[in-house]
Amino acid sequence: MGHFHHMGMSMGMSSGDDNSTMAPSHHHPTSSASHSHDHMMMMMPMTFYFGFKNVELLFSGLVINTAGEMAGAFVAVFLLAMFYEGLKIAREGLLRKSQVSIRYNSMPVPGPNGTILMETHKTVGQQMLSFPHLLQTVLHIIQVVISYFLMLIFMTYNGYLCIAVAAGAGMGYFLFSWKKAVVVDITEHCH
Amino acid sequence: MAMHFIFSDEVVLLFDFWSVHSPAGMALSVLVILLLAVLYEGIKVGKARLLHQALMSLSISTSQQLIEETDQNSSSSDPTPVSRTHLRWFLCHFGQSLLHVAQVVIGYFVMLAVMSYNTWIFFGVVLGSGVGYYLAYPLLSMT
Repeated sequence: MGHFHHMGMSMGMSSGDDNSTMAPSHHHPTSSASHSHDHMMMMMPMTFYFGFKNVELLFSGLVINTAGEMAGAFVAVFLLAMFYEGLKIAREGLLRKSQVSIRYNSMPVPGPNGTILMETHKTVGQQMLSFPHLLQTVLHIIQVVISYFLMLIFMTYNGYLCIAVAAGAGMGYFLFSWKKAVVVDITEHCH
Repeated sequence: MAMHFIFSDEVVLLFDFWSVHSPAGMALSVLVILLLAVLYEGIKVGKARLLHQALMSLSISTSQQLIEETDQNSSSSDPTPVSRTHLRWFLCHFGQSLLHVAQVVIGYFVMLAVMSYNTWIFFGVVLGSGVGYYLAYPLLSMT
């Protein structure tokens, strides 16, 4: 708990080192609903800021203190966001490839003139204990964890890290969805 | 940071300059957040429609190219239609990527607004998502 207090105090000292255009009093909340918890309000920033001093990232040992470390964190977060987009598209592709079991159900339904028409239902599914489904489940768990990590990174309200998340997502979507769109064009032409 | 929903007329949302003190300011902020949530739903539908339109126009243009090429068998092969299609596809995909970045950023902004734990803002987000879905999703199947 003392660490968070230290972070709140050191944020006041780091605001002078930023080369941002934000007002230096950003770490003092001007309006707070509960004035009795003032020191707790400094634990987590609630507005966007640009800085690289004493930035805690996800885990307790991961603290950014220098510009070099922030650059490394930027690259790592960028790659993580790119990987997340690629994972999403890889899962879609795997799902499409593994959906080979197609069941046709035909049932008679009454037609307009009293004739009997056959209505055919096509269901596409997977077996539960098959390898593709287990692989999808493992990839789903990884995707959920990474999506929560990206959310927590964005929640640090650090401007550099948030830009890394957004740029990584855009670049990942651009690179991976390009190939997917071409594949979709070919395979989903004739339905 | 209070870890429960509170009804309050005071909140600081996302940026330093966005600090709300009065009921009028809160109403305006709720409206802005509502429009942001509507925009988020709209972008989701817009991306899907853009992709569909791009695929339709590209498949039409490629089939036209095939027709032209079979008509002019012995005439000089014209490489420009192929590169024009590639350029169009590249621009289309680049536009979709920008739209995706906008969707990610707006999604995170709405999440951070909910994280302020202000109940009015939360109502604005929920209402905005509902209104956005209601307005946008019929446009998805209108192809």
